[in-house]
Amino acid sequence: MKNIIVGQYVPGKSFLYKMDPRSKILALGILMVSAFVFKDITHIIYMLFGVLLILKIGGIPIMRIARGLRPIMILLLFTFSFQVMFIKTGDVVLETVLTLTYINLGLMVLIILGWYFTRTYIKSRFLFLIFVILGILTMLSLFTPGITISSSNFVVYEDGLLGASFIMVRLIIIVTLSTILTLTTKPTDLNLGLEKILRPLNIVKINSEEIALIISIALRYIPTLLDEANKIMLAQASRGVDFSEGKIKDKVMQIISLLVPMFIISFKRSDDLANAMEARSFIPGNPRSRIHILAWENRDTIVIIFCIVVLISTIAVRVFL
Amino acid sequence: MNIIEIKDLSFAYREEFFALNDVNLTIKRGEWISILGHNGSGKSTLAKLIIGLLKAEKGEIYVDGVLLNEETVHEIRRKIGIVFQNPDNQFVGVTVEDDIAFGMENLNFDREDMLNKIEEYSKKVNMFEYLKKEPHNLSGGQKQRVAIAGILAMNTDIIIFDESTSMLDPKGRESIMEYIRDLNKEGKTIITITHDMKEAVNSDRIVILKDGKVLAVGETNTILNDKETLNSSNLELLLPLKLLYKLDEANIKNEKVKNILWQLSLNK
Amino acid sequence: MAIKFEQVNYLYPSFDGSNFSALENIDLEISEKGEFITLIGETGSGKSTLVQHMNALLRPATGSVTIYGIKIQKNTNKNKKIKLNPLRQKVGLVFQFPEYQLFEETVLKDIIFGPKNFGVKEDVAIERAKEVIKLVGLTEEYLERSPFNLSGGEKKRVSIAGILAMEPDILVLDEPTSGLDPKGRDALLELFTEIHKKLDKTVIIITHDMNTVYKYATRVLVMHDSELVFDGNASELFKSENIVKWNLDLPDIIEITNQLEKKLDISFNTKPHNVDELFKLMKGVL
Repeated sequence: MKNIIVGQYVPGKSFLYKMDPRSKILALGILMVSAFVFKDITHIIYMLFGVLLILKIGGIPIMRIARGLRPIMILLLFTFSFQVMFIKTGDVVLETVLTLTYINLGLMVLIILGWYFTRTYIKSRFLFLIFVILGILTMLSLFTPGITISSSNFVVYEDGLLGASFIMVRLIIIVTLSTILTLTTKPTDLNLGLEKILRPLNIVKINSEEIALIISIALRYIPTLLDEANKIMLAQASRGVDFSEGKIKDKVMQIISLLVPMFIISFKRSDDLANAMEARSFIPGNPRSRIHILAWENRDTIVIIFCIVVLISTIAVRVFL
Repeated sequence: MNIIEIKDLSFAYREEFFALNDVNLTIKRGEWISILGHNGSGKSTLAKLIIGLLKAEKGEIYVDGVLLNEETVHEIRRKIGIVFQNPDNQFVGVTVEDDIAFGMENLNFDREDMLNKIEEYSKKVNMFEYLKKEPHNLSGGQKQRVAIAGILAMNTDIIIFDESTSMLDPKGRESIMEYIRDLNKEGKTIITITHDMKEAVNSDRIVILKDGKVLAVGETNTILNDKETLNSSNLELLLPLKLLYKLDEANIKNEKVKNILWQLSLNK
Repeated sequence: MAIKFEQVNYLYPSFDGSNFSALENIDLEISEKGEFITLIGETGSGKSTLVQHMNALLRPATGSVTIYGIKIQKNTNKNKKIKLNPLRQKVGLVFQFPEYQLFEETVLKDIIFGPKNFGVKEDVAIERAKEVIKLVGLTEEYLERSPFNLSGGEKKRVSIAGILAMEPDILVLDEPTSGLDPKGRDALLELFTEIHKKLDKTVIIITHDMNTVYKYATRVLVMHDSELVFDGNASELFKSENIVKWNLDLPDIIEITNQLEKKLDISFNTKPHNVDELFKLMKGVL
């Protein structure tokens, strides 16, 4: 547990790393807005190429981004199927009858079972799942011997397909952009950048410096707390708590046996920490000087101007084309 | 010249249960004083009262001539640095550098000045190569050294070590004691709070606390000679001292042996 | 043999893909009865990792640990055919900070938590709690108190009672005396000796205090850089030249005796174990 790294930061040397976190956060915001302004599939695909270009120049391996996309795969698949099934305008792309018979129902069950037992051995499970689903659909449409149980029309329209692809590309762009930010910016720098950007909120009595201090203390204590949670788990396991099994009632007890020590220790910690901070002349709400400063350079200005140009052109495209 | 004066100080966490009871104590500028006592004797409470983290029921504390109260507490904290017991619970920064800077940032030091001081004091406690490291990659002793650097950077006249070595291994303990010795030589007023007589004998003077009361105050030599008081203090006597007392009781008088045992008691 | 380590290696995985070795080629046997073992070594030498193998909290990366006839290897427990839980009843492990385990409203509930997990009936467990609370030097009144309103030393005793109530054959304690003052420390060590002698259990203690090692241990294990470098008795260890290399101190009594011998230019026939023995030797000389 000695090497926990909070966030996704991966050290590197490209221009993305040299940029000021403020300009990165701003650029991310502007580009996201642009992604929402687009309404047309071709334009957004141009934008996707733009984003891929940033990855290329920034020297970020595409696999890292793919890893960032993994958690939202299911969401993507869901929105895609939803769009395809329920938008019923435009030209018909594909029309077929899906027929369920006793024979292909049996085959279908076999295929699903086969998928269930082999999936752990397949490297890209998600692709495997898509292939299985597509395979089943093809079978239902083409291979229909025996007595029919039920059958229905399955029609895919052009608008549905385009709309689905459009939403998918937009989601991919947004996730990729935010992943670029977290991959190339240390959590502490990100925090500092946010603090400076949120400074205008001080007018409405939201103290961005205090929020930043809270975040930085949280960042500092996450590894410590994880380490502690692990030790508490081992201590309770030594008293016969078997975290891998147990009925619901036992499970509740198991969780309580972890949470209570965790809370008690954290209270003690925060008490000590508050004392230590006060002893070092910390006064909540008072202005503090900082060792970390952010250096806004020409490249940051150029990037922001470029992003604004992108935004203006997207708006222009939206309005005039 | 007294840098700290404590008059009739009492404090209770719960009603009728006094953690400290009528404590009177003066600490001289530039001296090293140990506050020695068993667990629950009130020694850490005393430290928290001096730095204004707790408020006394009764009594007065003067630091550098200033009476401690709500108006002066921030001014007084600027004169006193404190290293607490648990190395993990006082590390505020995400990195070593950030932690050394924390106090200076609170006092609104100039950035250039801060960077210079971080370099100077991290070198002094031998943590310069670790400036960018996170606390979970450091040992307990290293974290305590960072805490010392942070206090040195704030340039306080007084440094309190509140059982700062009790959670460290022997090696970490020895290195912290080494720094304390040096700091005292450089003119800092040092207050070490401990239950370990081996640590206390290094200081100029010793205060023994027992159940919230001052049992004895005096020069280290005088305290070590006071057999009755030590025996009633609930503390563990140092081994050479025990032997010395035994030889005394048996009326064996050998100046050379006595002298050797005395030197060993004083950790010399 | 109750516990047997054979060529045990253990690696902590680290973020950058490289592994940090915590145990290297450990061979070790521990018997079920009659041993009072102290495990010493610098911080980070692998002491805690070693004891966490003794009740199967950790599994070796290579090699095996056999605990009461059950062989634990890297892949043991993957298919859950072997139940590791019962081993934890046999080898009771007390962690350094009692705060890691205390969580119930009353001391009684906390003490019976362990036994109940191992299938002991509640009334039997309560009887045991009444016994062990006295064994650890507290009174029965403590059973109704909240574990969080106790002093540091008392919490420690309650956490030990919670493990003792499981009736383990072997009791392992990770730095049980750290943070206690000398009085509290001595009282606790006397308690362990009593458990060791009266209940005839093997007690294993991790410690940094060489005085404890010299006074109590029947056997000493030294860890250095993830390896078990010494396994023998204390007198032998402190005569060894290697203690400097392993960064170990000498016990006070040996240190003082050596100093006296050197400064007075004498040499005693026997090595004293406590201040009374040293006093007698000194009296003989003077």
